[in-house]
Amino acid sequence: MADVRLTQIKKSFGQVEVLHGITLDIASGEFISLLGASGCGKTTLLRIVAGLEGVTSGTVEIAGRDVTELPPEKRDIAMMFQSYALLPHLSVSENVRFPLRMRKIGSREEQAEKVRDALETVQLGHLADRKPRQLSGGQQQRVALARAIVSRPQVLLLDEPLSNLDARLREDMQVELIEIHKRLGLTSIFVTHDQEEALSLSDRVVLLNGGKVEQEGAPSEIYSNPATGFASNFLGAANLLPATLTETAAGRAAKLEDGQVFPIETGAGEGGEVTLALRQEDATLCAEGEGQLTGVVAARIYLGARNRYVVKVAGHEVRVLTGTETLYESGARVGLQIDPARVRVLPRD
Amino acid sequence: MNDRAENTLLVLPGLALLALAFFVPITQMLILSVSGDDGPTLAHFTRFLGDPYYLGVLWRTVRLSILITVICAAIGFPLAYIMARVGPRLRLWLIVLVILPLMTSVVVRTFGWMVLLSRSGLIPEMLRDMGLVGRNFAIMQTETAIVIGMVQVLLPFMTLSILGIVTRIDPRLEEAARTMGCSFLQSLRTVVLPLAVPGIIAGSLLVFTLSASSFVTPNLLGGSRIQVLAASIYRSVTQTLDWPFAAAQAVILFVGILLILVPYARLAGGRSNG
Repeated sequence: MADVRLTQIKKSFGQVEVLHGITLDIASGEFISLLGASGCGKTTLLRIVAGLEGVTSGTVEIAGRDVTELPPEKRDIAMMFQSYALLPHLSVSENVRFPLRMRKIGSREEQAEKVRDALETVQLGHLADRKPRQLSGGQQQRVALARAIVSRPQVLLLDEPLSNLDARLREDMQVELIEIHKRLGLTSIFVTHDQEEALSLSDRVVLLNGGKVEQEGAPSEIYSNPATGFASNFLGAANLLPATLTETAAGRAAKLEDGQVFPIETGAGEGGEVTLALRQEDATLCAEGEGQLTGVVAARIYLGARNRYVVKVAGHEVRVLTGTETLYESGARVGLQIDPARVRVLPRD
Repeated sequence: MNDRAENTLLVLPGLALLALAFFVPITQMLILSVSGDDGPTLAHFTRFLGDPYYLGVLWRTVRLSILITVICAAIGFPLAYIMARVGPRLRLWLIVLVILPLMTSVVVRTFGWMVLLSRSGLIPEMLRDMGLVGRNFAIMQTETAIVIGMVQVLLPFMTLSILGIVTRIDPRLEEAARTMGCSFLQSLRTVVLPLAVPGIIAGSLLVFTLSASSFVTPNLLGGSRIQVLAASIYRSVTQTLDWPFAAAQAVILFVGILLILVPYARLAGGRSNG
């Protein structure tokens, strides 16, 4: 159990700087997600914590010890890879014993005991003698998890370990991961590009964009109060509409590019250029003239329990997730009913 | 025509060539090796196996071949690993560098070694000047010279065999090993080396066979006193004109190589299937 402190981490590959000074404090026992699109530097950051990648400048501390210059084997960490990285020439139990053997933890008997425990934890005790390639993807994944926790590392690093699993299995593994994290109290850093995964698993989400921290906070906070257009777009597939702030008789309002005016409650103090962020589940369709905004249906996507409409409003596509009671056909003019309290007004990026 | 018949038809030209170029000469050699003045005889074999000189030649051939194979593997594995992990540009240059010896004539290359290794050559001279060896030190006409010359020629076979396997090893396995407490060298030993075994075995088979059956390099670098089996066969054919005896030696070399290689290949096959 240990805290991790990253200070002003910068990393360049050749001439290209991919991390522009990232500072992050991770408390002992915290489960933190590094969330971002591919190429945002999240995996590089994780590899820097692991010691697989050096830093250009900045420091990495684990449990108060500066480990910036230490090779991976000298840091008390464990890492789970997207490809699982099980050693193909070793059996399942030999794979799980590997970190114990290499770190010389315990006697042979104690190691065997720990391996059994770890495999029981992930419910794979019966497959101990198999070779990794005789296992399914989900089973390999659990072996990788068992191998990561068997040595009780101070820090557990997870590099998109669930992204190769199908949806059902992934949910099961998420639950399992959370339980194991809670039970062992490991400090965990989880890299993912899946916002739902990040929100459901972590104590804190760190949103990375272009090698910088865009926003960080508790999942509920970051989801309901995205600070930037990028954040709101990334966290919950929000619709973004450029607008200008104006005053009307009824109070503050935002004027869209085609002149439609929309009343707003919250948001950026001074007038000027803003971006309205609206979640797709926060709007409903209604007859033209009944809503605050008007648009034209561009497409309807049937999702089973719900429909997703793509509506053109002021030249921008707005996605709306709504029930199936009333159907609107492509080309129909419709109104959009929106609770002004649900609309976030963000400074223009 | 079904697939099977089609396949048979397709393989026919290859089989015919193989029969003509391989089975016919081998059969001829077998017949020749037991032919005597008064019908079939095993005299050539008993002569070989009863003569300590020839047994010595056989033993030297096997011993040197094993030594050359081991040295090639010891150099080839790290070399192949480096080649697999550097950028594609540098890798190309390294491959060219490694196979360069194969592009020159064996005679020219061996004469090069003779120049370097002879009594007044560069290397013994240097060693003498540095005071590392005595005045009478020589490398030419020793087994050392043979080993040096052969390793240079055969290294590409070993290196390229291993390279083919090592490039397919996921570098993330090594990274995973590093995060599990392996130093760099430990990760080589516990991860890369075991996974490269098929390549090392394939390379060893090539190197061992080629070195056991080569005669130009051993002959030129080892001189006439240090005979290997292939050179002895060559001498029987060209100098003493004793063809049946040459054939018998060839059979012994052939069987000897088989006796060593078959269990080795079995071992390898067992490992990669396990």
